[in-house]
Amino acid sequence: MHALVGAYVLDAIPDRDRSEFERHLLTCEQCRDDVRGLREAGALLAAAVAVTPRPELRGPTLQAAGVTRQLAPVGGEPTRRSWRRREPSAGVVRFWLAGVAVSVAVVLAVTAVVLGLHMAAMQRRLAAEDRRDSAISAILGAHDTVVLTAAVTTGGTATVVMSHHERELVFTANGLTRLPGSRGYELWLSGPTGITPVGMLPPGSRGMSGPMVVGHVAVGDALEVTVEPVGGSPHPTSVPIVRLALDT
Amino acid sequence: MDVRAGGQPGSRRSKGPVGSAAPAGLEAALAAVARGDEAAFAVVYDRAAPAVLGTARRILRDPAQSEEVMQEVLLEVWRTASRFDPATGSAAAWITTLAHRRAVDRVRSEQRAARREIRAAAAAIAYDEVADAVEASLDRERVRRCLAGLTELQRESVTLAYYGGYSYREVALLLGVAVGTVKTRMRDGLIRLRDCLGVG
Repeated sequence: MHALVGAYVLDAIPDRDRSEFERHLLTCEQCRDDVRGLREAGALLAAAVAVTPRPELRGPTLQAAGVTRQLAPVGGEPTRRSWRRREPSAGVVRFWLAGVAVSVAVVLAVTAVVLGLHMAAMQRRLAAEDRRDSAISAILGAHDTVVLTAAVTTGGTATVVMSHHERELVFTANGLTRLPGSRGYELWLSGPTGITPVGMLPPGSRGMSGPMVVGHVAVGDALEVTVEPVGGSPHPTSVPIVRLALDT
Repeated sequence: MDVRAGGQPGSRRSKGPVGSAAPAGLEAALAAVARGDEAAFAVVYDRAAPAVLGTARRILRDPAQSEEVMQEVLLEVWRTASRFDPATGSAAAWITTLAHRRAVDRVRSEQRAARREIRAAAAAIAYDEVADAVEASLDRERVRRCLAGLTELQRESVTLAYYGGYSYREVALLLGVAVGTVKTRMRDGLIRLRDCLGVG
């Protein structure tokens, strides 16, 4: 069993490790089973310290629900079958989603404090993260979310979570081979009109990279990753080490 | 909270309507909440709010903040009920996971703002409070008994994290042991707890 599973279930894991572990869960069915079982034990730890809320809190909470819009279910609409690669069960996507949905707002708030020292810089960064996170939320929350995975020829796995409807996707990779400091992984969007750089994959710890949001994807596009000089190249200068076709 | 529904076959089912159209079991009530059923939300509140509030109280200590967290979590349950997937665990586990995470996140953001000093005093109380709780309940008794079956290091690692809201690094500092040791004790302690409680 994964060493971090206990700390994860107990929320005793730093935010950074938490999101890495959640990405790991995406590809580890056994870990999801372990988390599921241990969470039931957690539920009893909570039940053991239950205290009855003051009766005055009940009315306002129920009323607040009455004026709060609920999220639509995920996967309510049938998934397009034309996507290549395997389509994980809705459960896998939802499992990941549950974590992401809960953490986005909190991570933003926490990030604000952590990074805080310079107000203006913080606000700029927050706005950027906010845009990224709302893009991720939109993709994950779309009714036609699809997950594609592909092996990277030089080692590791690339994962794409995409929404055809939103025409956006989230790209992550794990287990990528560590490169010398002068080189980096560059992500490309390849379409009928040519190939355009998306950006350099942020080097993650423990082999996790991303997430990167790619917008305006269209039928027939493909994602490619190449190894480039660390500053990035305007055009690929090496053979792609992974290619993910976004439609057949 | 109707957490026993989590692990025992048969008890997950709704116990059927009681006096109104709203289903009485937590799982069934949550399913109805996902469809916008406000009466069912009242059932979810009544069943889930005590464990949510209790968890928040253990971690945050401050009664007002704990009540805020309880209300936020219940509202989050209302808002995201459609995302609950019974295949990923019981409704009780889903709700208490939301609650615990939110309380811990609140502690951490405060900690980052004010570099909260580690409240070493909390180390001793987490387990004792469960052990000495005045209010008797079946869940409490089962958990107390099963916690007592853990090794001391497992028990302290689990309770400091769950009831104290400490990270594994903080727990390692508090207990004076290596970080890696704490991680495995948390895992092994939870496994033993799960098996003893007969859930999962």
